[in-house]
Amino acid sequence: MSQSSLYNQNAKLGYSTVAINHVIDFKEKKQEIPKPISPSELLPSLPIIPGKLKPIKIVTRLTLVVSDPSHCNVLRATSSNIRLYDIIAVFPKTEKLFHVACTNLDVDLICISVTEKLPFYFRRPPVNMAIDRGIYFEVLYTPAIKDSTMRRYTISNALSLVQICKGKNVIISSAAERPLELRGPYDVANLGLLFGLSESDAKAAVSTNCRAILLHGETRKTACGVVYTMKKPQPVEEEEETLPACKRAKTQV
Amino acid sequence: MSAPLRRLRETPRHLLVCERSHVRHERSRHAARVRGHAYNCRVSFLIPECGVLPEPLKSVTTDMGEYYLVKNLPLHELVAQEFISAFVKTGSCYALTYNTRIDQDNTAALLPTGKLILSVDKDTYEELGLQGRPSRYSGKKVMRYSADGSTLMSYFSKHQIQAHQPKITFSTLRNLQCPVLCSNELQGKPEESCSAQELFEWLGAVFSNVELDNKSFSFVSTYCCPEPSTMMDQAYLCTITGFILPEKIIQLLDQLCAYFDEPKLAQWVTLTVHGFADSPVSWRENEHGFQKGGENLYNFVVFRSLDYWLQMAVGANDDCPP
Repeated sequence: MSQSSLYNQNAKLGYSTVAINHVIDFKEKKQEIPKPISPSELLPSLPIIPGKLKPIKIVTRLTLVVSDPSHCNVLRATSSNIRLYDIIAVFPKTEKLFHVACTNLDVDLICISVTEKLPFYFRRPPVNMAIDRGIYFEVLYTPAIKDSTMRRYTISNALSLVQICKGKNVIISSAAERPLELRGPYDVANLGLLFGLSESDAKAAVSTNCRAILLHGETRKTACGVVYTMKKPQPVEEEEETLPACKRAKTQV
Repeated sequence: MSAPLRRLRETPRHLLVCERSHVRHERSRHAARVRGHAYNCRVSFLIPECGVLPEPLKSVTTDMGEYYLVKNLPLHELVAQEFISAFVKTGSCYALTYNTRIDQDNTAALLPTGKLILSVDKDTYEELGLQGRPSRYSGKKVMRYSADGSTLMSYFSKHQIQAHQPKITFSTLRNLQCPVLCSNELQGKPEESCSAQELFEWLGAVFSNVELDNKSFSFVSTYCCPEPSTMMDQAYLCTITGFILPEKIIQLLDQLCAYFDEPKLAQWVTLTVHGFADSPVSWRENEHGFQKGGENLYNFVVFRSLDYWLQMAVGANDDCPP
């Protein structure tokens, strides 16, 4: 199966965590958000990273391509399957939506277009607000591998982003569908230098920033990122040997 | 637009410290430098104009000593009473975690002085509540911490322990272009001798088996041997890979100095020692990190007159060598 070869290639290149992305484009007919696939269903056993004894970690991610303000309502719905994803990303297509994503929306990642000329310019106030809220900006590198025109757009869009955000809160990820489109983490960090990132920012773009996004996603499942509740499995009630309520020990006053 | 282009032209930060002295000088610190660099994974020496290795050198290289690999050893075993009294107090004990990457995982190193250095990531640091300080090379977000702990070890018979012998390879290089060096001139004199940096790069090219003559069809490298240079018929290159103790390296260095007791064609010999890319410390307790490459190595050039040059090099996330 091609997917397992993709994860094997990731482990061979040295990545320790991989996110499986599910893209929802609202321009098409009304789409339902499916439940995320659990990694154990995908692969019977996760590939082990060579040189370490741990297998790679697989997390789930949802990307919403929004081109209209009404598309964002799904993020506020409490009963949808959105809550089950580890990371939520949004891909705004207009300037107004970019502003809304940076300031209001409860997401972890904002994707930057790399396959076409930027439809809007980045401005400093919304970008700074996003950085304060702990939201990261994502640049893809696989389109740049496939085509030289997209390479130009990738570099120019990434350069304008980095100029405005000063290299903070940027991650570089692949959108790989095949193992050949993947590159090693240190090579991707070198690519970050072309985008205008400094050496340490480029390395952080593949390591520490990604960990921060995972933690940001976890806080959505908790109360303000401090308290985490988990349903305790109920023990099966037994017929005898249950203490009657009146014999419960008295608590100290 | 010009700032990223300017940055692209710069090479990543690296440091090369060169010093010059004489082996028999009473204040020469070559032995101290060797002893300070605890974790060595590869030792190579190059003897120009030599076809056959002399006997004393050969016996030192084959007698490099065993090293042991213990799998799945919990670190608390390193801190048990028996081990300290059995190993650490009696002699010098060196240990380093294997197959862990310093920029991702937790690494531990036991120094011969009895100090245990732990380099841990943020989660482990907070979980364990260790007392330590943030690493100097984490950038703005601190991710790695170093902590010291007193060391205690116990015997490892209940864990999987394997003994390994260091791997030794010998080769004779033919028709090698070598730079001309003058022991007094570290910076090199134009038209007379090459500088220490040029020698360092040339050595790297030789160890990587790179062609030194810049042929037009070679895509790999356009590197040329620095001028002035001489053509040598043969040179002997020996590489020892494993976990090698500084004491053995000092013995090897002494034998290389003894090589010049009899008259030889060679003007100089070199001894290069590489440290582990994933070790948390480089010299003594200087911190070592892995930015895009974890090099920490040193190189001796011993001349016929027993003058020597010592070059110590580190990569981006490292403290300056002593």
